[in-house]
Amino acid sequence: MSRSVTAVLIPCVWPFSSPSTQGITVLRGDGSREEQFIMPTVVVMDVSLSMTRPVSVEGSEEYQRKHLAVHGLTMLFEHMATNYKLEFTALVVFSSLWELMVPFTRDYNTLQVVLVTDGCLGIGRGSLRHSLATHNQRSESNRFPLPFPFPSKLYVMCMANLEELQSTDSLDCLERLIDLNNGEGQIFTIDGPLCLKNVQSMFGKLIDLAYTPFHAVLKCGHLTSDVQVFPRPEPFIIDEEIDPIPKAINTDLEIVGFVDIADISSPPVLSRHLVLPIALNREGDEVGPGITDDTEDENSANQIAGKIPNFCVLLHGSLKVEGMVAVVQLGPEWYGMLYSQADSKKKSNLMMSLFEPGPEPLPWLGKMAQLGPISDAKENPYGEDDNKSPFPLQPKNKRSYAQNVTVWIKPSGLQTDVQKILRNARKLPEKTQTFYKELNRLRKAALAFGFLDLLKGVADMLERECTLLPDTAHPDAAFQLTHAAQQLKVASTGASEYAAYDHNIAPLQTDFSSSSTERM
Amino acid sequence: MKIFSESHKTVFVVDHCPYMAESCRQHVEFDMLVKNRTQGIIPLAPISKSLWTCSVESSMEYCRIMYDIFPFKKLVNFIVSDSGAHVLNSWTQEDQNLQELMAALAAVGPPNPRADPECCSILHGLVAAVEALCKITEYQHEARTMLMENAERVGNRGRIICITNAKSDSHVRMLEDCVQETIHEHNKLAANSDHLMQIQKCELVLIHTYPVGEDSLVSDRPKKELSPVLTSEVHSVRAGRHLATKLNVLVQQHFDLASTTITNIPMKEEQHANTSANYDVELLHHKEAHVDFLKSELHYCTGAYRISPVDVNSRPSSCLTNFLLNGRSVLLEQPRKSGSKVISHMLSSHGGEIFLHVLSSSRSILEDPPSISEGCGGRVTDYRITDFGEFMRENRLTPFLEPRYKIDGSLEIPLERAKDQLEKHTRYWPMIISQTTIFNMQAVVPLASVIVKEAMTDEDVLNCQKTIYNLVDMERKNDPLPISTVGTRGKGPKRDEQYRIMWNELETLVRAHINNSDKHQRVLECLMACRSKPPEEEERKKRGRKREDKEDKSEKLGKDYESDKPWQESERLKGILDREKEELAEAEVIKDSPDSPEPPNKKPLITMDEMPTVEKAKGPMSLLSLWSNRINTANSRKHQEFIGRLNSVNNKAELYQHLKEENGMETTENGKAGRQ
Repeated sequence: MSRSVTAVLIPCVWPFSSPSTQGITVLRGDGSREEQFIMPTVVVMDVSLSMTRPVSVEGSEEYQRKHLAVHGLTMLFEHMATNYKLEFTALVVFSSLWELMVPFTRDYNTLQVVLVTDGCLGIGRGSLRHSLATHNQRSESNRFPLPFPFPSKLYVMCMANLEELQSTDSLDCLERLIDLNNGEGQIFTIDGPLCLKNVQSMFGKLIDLAYTPFHAVLKCGHLTSDVQVFPRPEPFIIDEEIDPIPKAINTDLEIVGFVDIADISSPPVLSRHLVLPIALNREGDEVGPGITDDTEDENSANQIAGKIPNFCVLLHGSLKVEGMVAVVQLGPEWYGMLYSQADSKKKSNLMMSLFEPGPEPLPWLGKMAQLGPISDAKENPYGEDDNKSPFPLQPKNKRSYAQNVTVWIKPSGLQTDVQKILRNARKLPEKTQTFYKELNRLRKAALAFGFLDLLKGVADMLERECTLLPDTAHPDAAFQLTHAAQQLKVASTGASEYAAYDHNIAPLQTDFSSSSTERM
Repeated sequence: MKIFSESHKTVFVVDHCPYMAESCRQHVEFDMLVKNRTQGIIPLAPISKSLWTCSVESSMEYCRIMYDIFPFKKLVNFIVSDSGAHVLNSWTQEDQNLQELMAALAAVGPPNPRADPECCSILHGLVAAVEALCKITEYQHEARTMLMENAERVGNRGRIICITNAKSDSHVRMLEDCVQETIHEHNKLAANSDHLMQIQKCELVLIHTYPVGEDSLVSDRPKKELSPVLTSEVHSVRAGRHLATKLNVLVQQHFDLASTTITNIPMKEEQHANTSANYDVELLHHKEAHVDFLKSELHYCTGAYRISPVDVNSRPSSCLTNFLLNGRSVLLEQPRKSGSKVISHMLSSHGGEIFLHVLSSSRSILEDPPSISEGCGGRVTDYRITDFGEFMRENRLTPFLEPRYKIDGSLEIPLERAKDQLEKHTRYWPMIISQTTIFNMQAVVPLASVIVKEAMTDEDVLNCQKTIYNLVDMERKNDPLPISTVGTRGKGPKRDEQYRIMWNELETLVRAHINNSDKHQRVLECLMACRSKPPEEEERKKRGRKREDKEDKSEKLGKDYESDKPWQESERLKGILDREKEELAEAEVIKDSPDSPEPPNKKPLITMDEMPTVEKAKGPMSLLSLWSNRINTANSRKHQEFIGRLNSVNNKAELYQHLKEENGMETTENGKAGRQ
């Protein structure tokens, strides 16, 4: 697997900048549209004729299944409008054909698909039953839409109860859909008779499963703020074998200290989340993260909440001004960071990124548990003038590209190393130190690779160089070349006394050497 | 993801028998003569590497790439085999680096072509390899210890890469049988041992290598399951660069690597400094760094992966890596299907290690979120942004690599110390400027900065005392105090009242820390002795306390730490009332608070006793007026004061003020101006 990428050399400070943005139209439960900020959900609604089948409800007006579906979706949309304001929704209706009522206009990560149907799967070509039966005969160009080519969850909301579905093979077909989506998703059916109340309870279960806002308390010592973390952080499996239980983050997000952005320096993260301060009223319902609301009441509630000092705002302001991040503990051996994220419109917000769980998510910070307050250090590691930093930590062993390793797999690698020796040999005695440094590097590698012929070859070459020295050459040059060649020759015998890896060939001490030692 | 997959343990078994001393028959020119010196000189004859040299340098290259990309938890055990097995290193992390291996290989030296071939065999090495795989690594040990009763979840898998010169396919089968049998035997041994682990899965990779130009006596065979524990594959490869290429392919397979070629890197020419040519550099890294694009162009994902240059010492490679090691970054862009280009990756180094960062190329759901100024607390304009910035700098983290111990001998966890310090530093920390007097006073800094410490020196105590004396002095001289006056009318409290507020707040701060040490206690004693306090006030406080405790529950700042916080509760309540008034008073747009850390004008603050009573204005207070004030104040908290009365001047309130404001007119009557 190989890929060509064009390099552009630009200094940068990712992720502390953000791309441009654009608005999006959302369908609201009441049918109105409004500009909002959203997370992706596609609602796929069955509007085939069978959805108009009446539901007998005693002593009330007649309902169709379609009405029940609309009722349930209204509830879902209203829940999102109140508790999940940043939700991003699209609606597709389908019968034998489909029509995209409200399109997404942006890209997405994990998509949630809510399919609303009565479980009457139709007959003939193009029906689900037919599609599943012929699933294996499909070509790559005519691929079945499941599994989706992106991470997704498929929720099927059936406007029918379990008994009804089991009387045909509908349930089996729907279950196959979930299977085809790699098991990601769930089927919901109505418990008991079809009525508004039972539809509500079914959508209630979906809301609990997929649309419950994640509330937490952000703490920095005694400074605290109630927050909603959006989107909800997903549980994470650290090692499927050793620790197969998915780990969720704490609802107490505890700040443990602060680090300069330059020090934390573009860390890899699992996910990013907005941290929105919320005001919890007495009943425990949130007043909301403060996005413009349409009702007067909420407006004034938000206005009041806006004027009560909130730690998130203070923290955000200082993080932004100082160019720092707050390191936050999310669980045992799980950390993240809080920082100010600004967009192009001069809006900015408090963002939280989750690091991969583990004791040392960022090698350049070292083990998180070993990070302590600067006041415990003998002297301020940031310097009195704030001109130093204890980060990044250097690894014990340098990587190959940082330690001048010797690789002779390509002939050019070997030739370059030999040329370096030769170039320095011609500038003896000025380059005595470099000459021996390169010579010893080659000697070590040749010994490790058991490439003794090379030592002999280079010895021959140095002897020849000696004979080619011009008359004007310094007399020391000839002595050093002869000495080096002789030393390589004895090493090339492999005899243990001359071929020790840690032994270095030292420059020959001559009468001239005291006056010609190289100043390095 | 599994930590203990096959790639956790790799055993190299390299044949050191006499035939490995044979030439690979691929010549290397090493005497490259420079043009003007070549006249009359015949270059030295090219040399060639032995099968051994080819095997060793290829396996070193495998290890180099592996160590670059996975410096931890991926371990190599290197064994050479001749008349016996020579194990060159152990599984410990300290042994996992190229220098150690090179030194050990140098000690072994090349194979002796004159040794008796009958005594030598690769089998010794293979048996030792199985033994090595049964040995527990420090990571396995750590995981087992941590998991306690679930220790069996820690897997023991491994891979044996054997480079040899086999005689035939049946010879290869004999080697496989030997490995299988040895695993069987050693698993029995390991079952009864605490420090050995049974091998659950072993991947045998047999590489038959032979001189270039000869026919291979061994055929390739893809991976095949020989038993539930053992799989085996056979690669028949010519020596020289072919062997190196094979191992490069294998290291990519074994460690899920992928290659990225950075193209068109402009580099200055050594000879012609004013021109630059474009070069390409190929890097290896974990294949996850590509996942983004294989799955979907829309997928959001981000990560950082270590890299290793394929041709580490080539000039373009070292030019790029040095550029990165010097602290600069390289953004990579690649064409999209649509023809446009997208910045997809970034190369940059952290502490001498180069990482390929995957950038989110898709548009995020987090785009265009509401601004923080639109949410809770977003319309407050006088946050102590600068002070909290200072607080953050004081609470920066630094690594403590040497273990430290507490007085009781237990290990001290630096991060817990950091949390403790945050706890101490926030015991009394008002978030807004109008909520505090002392933190707006330069004179208080020497005390405020040391009182939060866990332990104070005598000098610290002395500084605190000096601070207090200084404040006493200021009071005596009647110096003005920076008391906030947000939303207040008139001149605000009198000077002595200002000092009372200041002293109360200072007391709150010091009291929050008196349990830290006796020295903290001494500071409080000094404070109590020095602060001026009308005698009645003490009495008043005592009586009022119970009621106050019941009343104000809306704020929680520091509440756990002071049972005695008369100042705080009353002032804070006042603050809330003030803000409510402001809400009604202002209709103007307030700037985003994070962008306006400037404090508002230092106007006098309305206080407790500043209910618009006539008595207020008349010189020294009688006990009766003090008492009525006290009752009025307490009562005023039980109901919300009429807005009109609150805003009134001389008990006269202007009606329908909001109409004016809604019409955009500024209300300047009654000496009350719209803020800013």
